[in-house]
Amino acid sequence: MDKNLNQDLQKELRREALKRNWRLFKQSKLGMIGLYIVIFFLFLALLQPFLFITGIWNKGVYDPVVGYDTIKDTLLVVECPKEYPTEKYESYTDCPAKGEVNVKKLYMAPGVEVGDMYETFIQPAPPSRTHLLGTDSLGRDIFSQIMEGSQVAFILGLLSATLGVGISTILGTIAAFFGGRIDAYLMRQSDLILMLPSLPLLFIISAFAELKVWHLAVVLGVIGGLGGSVITIKSQALQVKVKPFVDSARITGGSNMKILFSHVLPNVAPLALLFMVFSVTGAIASESVLSFLGLLNIDMSWGIMIYLSQTDGFIFSGMRYWWLILPAGLAVTFLAGGFYLVGRGLDDVFNPRLRKR
Amino acid sequence: MLEYIIRRTFQMTIVFFLFLIFSYLLFNAIPGNAFSSLLLNPNLPPDAYQRVLEIYGLDKPLFERTQMYIVNFFKGDFGYSYKYFPKTPIELIAERLPRTLMLFSIVNIVAFYTGFFIGKVLAWRRGSKAETWITVTSVFSYTVFYPWFALMMLWVFGYKLGWLPIGKFLFPEKWYDAPFDSDVVFTSMIKFTVVVSVIQFIAYLVTRGIESLSLRRNLRFGSLLAIFIGSYFYWNNGEALIQKPYASDIAYHMILPVMVVTVVAFAGTALLTRTTMMEVLKEDYILTARAKGISQKRIRDRHAARTALLPVVTSFIFTIVTIIDGSVLTEQIFSWPGMGQLLLQSVLEEDIPVAMATFSFVGVFALIAHLLADVSYSYLDPRIRIKSQG
Repeated sequence: MDKNLNQDLQKELRREALKRNWRLFKQSKLGMIGLYIVIFFLFLALLQPFLFITGIWNKGVYDPVVGYDTIKDTLLVVECPKEYPTEKYESYTDCPAKGEVNVKKLYMAPGVEVGDMYETFIQPAPPSRTHLLGTDSLGRDIFSQIMEGSQVAFILGLLSATLGVGISTILGTIAAFFGGRIDAYLMRQSDLILMLPSLPLLFIISAFAELKVWHLAVVLGVIGGLGGSVITIKSQALQVKVKPFVDSARITGGSNMKILFSHVLPNVAPLALLFMVFSVTGAIASESVLSFLGLLNIDMSWGIMIYLSQTDGFIFSGMRYWWLILPAGLAVTFLAGGFYLVGRGLDDVFNPRLRKR
Repeated sequence: MLEYIIRRTFQMTIVFFLFLIFSYLLFNAIPGNAFSSLLLNPNLPPDAYQRVLEIYGLDKPLFERTQMYIVNFFKGDFGYSYKYFPKTPIELIAERLPRTLMLFSIVNIVAFYTGFFIGKVLAWRRGSKAETWITVTSVFSYTVFYPWFALMMLWVFGYKLGWLPIGKFLFPEKWYDAPFDSDVVFTSMIKFTVVVSVIQFIAYLVTRGIESLSLRRNLRFGSLLAIFIGSYFYWNNGEALIQKPYASDIAYHMILPVMVVTVVAFAGTALLTRTTMMEVLKEDYILTARAKGISQKRIRDRHAARTALLPVVTSFIFTIVTIIDGSVLTEQIFSWPGMGQLLLQSVLEEDIPVAMATFSFVGVFALIAHLLADVSYSYLDPRIRIKSQG
């Protein structure tokens, strides 16, 4: 009975603490904006399977990888003049104008004369009602690709951050708590990881192993978890270790394991959570960089979208094909920025010296 | 302390040894080798591939090769590059390293100063509208997808406006009848930059102690003016006059990468400075300074910013360490022939001697920096004590 009451009290206290933290978090405006951005992308990631299951979107048309759709367009066949400027065209960039096609381009289609209407399929198609963000050069829906990319980003970011921070929190706390040889070993191990240049290392790994999203998340998590973050978490745990409550726990006869897991670890946890939110940003960026360089075996992601728009030569075509360039790049930037802002909001909550009052 | 450093050095040697073995095995785990492309050439006799492997010793078993490499490494023999044959990895690094260091030290210094200044102002003007907007901008440039941003900048400045060149280190057409190597010009540029920054730094140190703000500002401006006049005379006399057009060509190619990387890099410093500065502003001695009636600007610059500088400088040291690692992507995008490109190329082409040499160069750098950071922590902050072990 007594024990039950105690548990209820603890639950109540925990709920109170959570409420207070939420109130503090709400005070930081930018943190809330970050949260909204993250929720927006989460919504996008969940919306795509929903649209496919309910049949609102046909898989053949809207599938981000194998879907195909074109927009039929009728163009006026014109002949571009040899010398500029003429009455109609200022310079050679103006011909053919919108809705027109140069007759010289149609040498494959016999019997087409100047002045005819010519039916064709445009790819990449500009945004329209059926394709909110247009299609890419293979006729695939960009909006659907963005959704797929946000699924990849969430899975990868959250998985690798959780794994990495899990490893580094446990190892860092152990290193700080036991000290001595264990500490020296763990620190030298993180030295070893820090010594390897990260991007070339990932290149090598991608050369002899086919990296899928899960594999990459594990690799990034392990490298991040064994590397520099152990050092940071250790320095935090060192400050917790010398607090009076650890000594009193030892005097009352707590075993090493008990003190480690129920006194030191919970006090390191806020920093670890913070670290996790920040490392999501890093994981999303690394995935995009690797896909941007064409080294991952992933069907679709934001990095691959940028990679495709670059290899197809659209990135230097300026704003004419903006729907191929802007959405993917901005999505990476905004989701990473959203997680960063959430992390900053949490920083205000956990670090009382950063608060306004 | 000395005992600690000796123990650390001993541990570091073991770590470095393991690092060498690990990376050598890692490079050999990549399928194929540097000469696999010979197999695709139909004009070569069938035994040519085998003979090339024998010449380079690649036909020996892996264990024997690892052993040989490590023994030779500690003798100071790094072998020859597979791709640029008569050159040794050391020669290649000596050629590429200055380019990377030049580019990224300019970037880092500019980014550090702007970042520190902006962070200082951000923390000071907390809650104002300007703070929100500057924060949003710096968060954007901190988290922007860097290759994408760099390509967009290349498009805007290199293609649309046409002000700056798209990538590369120099215009080859300009250098056809050049009387000297690009490295010669580059070395003299580096010397010039180092001398200028040393003079400026000394001027800064000398004027730091001066109390009056206007005198200090005038003196600093004067030193800047002196540097400008001095550099005008330097570049218009003797050897430097012949080198001037070529040096300006290289400098012209440096503008865009420096600009883009600075925009991305300053934000990290700015956001970190903001956080540490806010923590410092809560300290009691700031309240004391306010109570004494010291001017706001003086409190900001002399009392708060000085203390907030410490963690920022430490993180700056770590940034310098990761220069080569971080240069990989930048140099790839701007086709800047530096250390990062050498590292990436040697890994992709499986040029194992060069890749091992560059990897160990980066590794030694990181190891020493970690040791220095640990030692300097305890030196700068007496609250952190290093025990005899760990």
